[in-house]
Amino acid sequence: MQHRNGPMSEPIPDEQLMLRVREDDVEVLSELFERYHLPLFNFFARLTGDPPASEDLVQDTFYRILKYRRSYKPGTAFRTWMYQIARNVRSDRFQRRRDEVGIEAAPVATVLPVDTVESSQQTAQLRQALMDLPEEKRELLLLSRYQGLKYEQIAVLLQCEVGTVKVRVHRALQELKERFHRREATRRRLQENLGR
Amino acid sequence: MDCREIESLLPDYLQRSSSEAATREVEAHLASCAACREEVALWNALETVPAEQPSPVLRRNFEAMLDAYRQGRERVSQPKAEVFGWHWLRVFVPAAAALALLAIGFLAGMYVNRSRSDATELASLHRELTSTRQMVALSMLQQQSASDRLQGVSWSRRVESDPQVIDALLHTLRYDTSVDVRLAALDALRRYADQGPVRSRIEDSLPNERSPLVQIALVDLMVDLRDKSAVEKLKAFERTPDLHPTVRQRVEWGIHQLNRG
Repeated sequence: MQHRNGPMSEPIPDEQLMLRVREDDVEVLSELFERYHLPLFNFFARLTGDPPASEDLVQDTFYRILKYRRSYKPGTAFRTWMYQIARNVRSDRFQRRRDEVGIEAAPVATVLPVDTVESSQQTAQLRQALMDLPEEKRELLLLSRYQGLKYEQIAVLLQCEVGTVKVRVHRALQELKERFHRREATRRRLQENLGR
Repeated sequence: MDCREIESLLPDYLQRSSSEAATREVEAHLASCAACREEVALWNALETVPAEQPSPVLRRNFEAMLDAYRQGRERVSQPKAEVFGWHWLRVFVPAAAALALLAIGFLAGMYVNRSRSDATELASLHRELTSTRQMVALSMLQQQSASDRLQGVSWSRRVESDPQVIDALLHTLRYDTSVDVRLAALDALRRYADQGPVRSRIEDSLPNERSPLVQIALVDLMVDLRDKSAVEKLKAFERTPDLHPTVRQRVEWGIHQLNRG
């Protein structure tokens, strides 16, 4: 593809690629898809707990990137812009279901296989604890931890002060800790009841 | 420094963007504070939660969208996007029909784009997408293979209450040869069951139903809906001579539940 450089060169910055998409060189969107469809998919999947629906959301996000390409302003961080679109896609699609998601997190697994490694159990608990969080807190952790967004970028996204973002991320982490403890305690009790 | 003071430094520390001095202060605090240490550990552990992989459909849909865009540019002179959409659905297998969804939506958006303002454009695009989803659902419900019809049922869930789709689902519930498809259709119809006519048509499929599984699902739905008028239907059904014992039990239970509630 014409936008690819040789193997030794630095990858072209997202912003430059997006500017080319903006000028109707839409083939370049494939490269942005390569870079971001997995992070976006995981953002949606972890946010909603619904992987099949998340594929649709990713698709819609790229569709809107293409459709609204001319509204991308030079100098804007592509990722911030993309997540802005992604959040709009999500809220448009799930407005009515918003309250239900999050409560739907499955209860603690009923029977734990004997040979499960402790750490993988903890990972499962952590994943569940994340789903237990209210959505806006979960989203903050997803954006700051998994999506690699700086607090400044999140502040632009959420239209608030950077300081506020930091405080909220910390609160979300504290709540995650509480929820994780609760799940761990339940798991331990279950294990004891199973005589292990 | 205590936890409150550290609170303002911790977020930057987590993203590894704090100054050297701040990093030292945080680390000194962490050495003596288990609670904060645990927060950092948890933050790090988040990385161990495995990422999920999307299905290949995601990439195919994306490529279909780009294709549609290219073709759209070549066909700017074509009068109406819908013509293209119908053509696709008639010619290709259902999988392709599913892929066409975005293609069509995109073309619709493009054509509209040239002539209307943004607000009208969005409204119109929304209509196009909805009607395309409806087409895909309807077309897939009529396919030969049960798995395609199952997909049709699942597509129907993306369509807001639409008489044609509801009708197709009711037809599927009544006449589809696959138990799985009938069960899925029943499940999809559940959200429309508050509409009286839909509810009674769902309930009326009970006497014709031959599969014990679907029979039980129907009885359960009637009980869930607390529809008193269903008691008579259940009583009539109970008189069916060769009813499976489990189903008969379920029907008795259902009558009891409805009479009690």
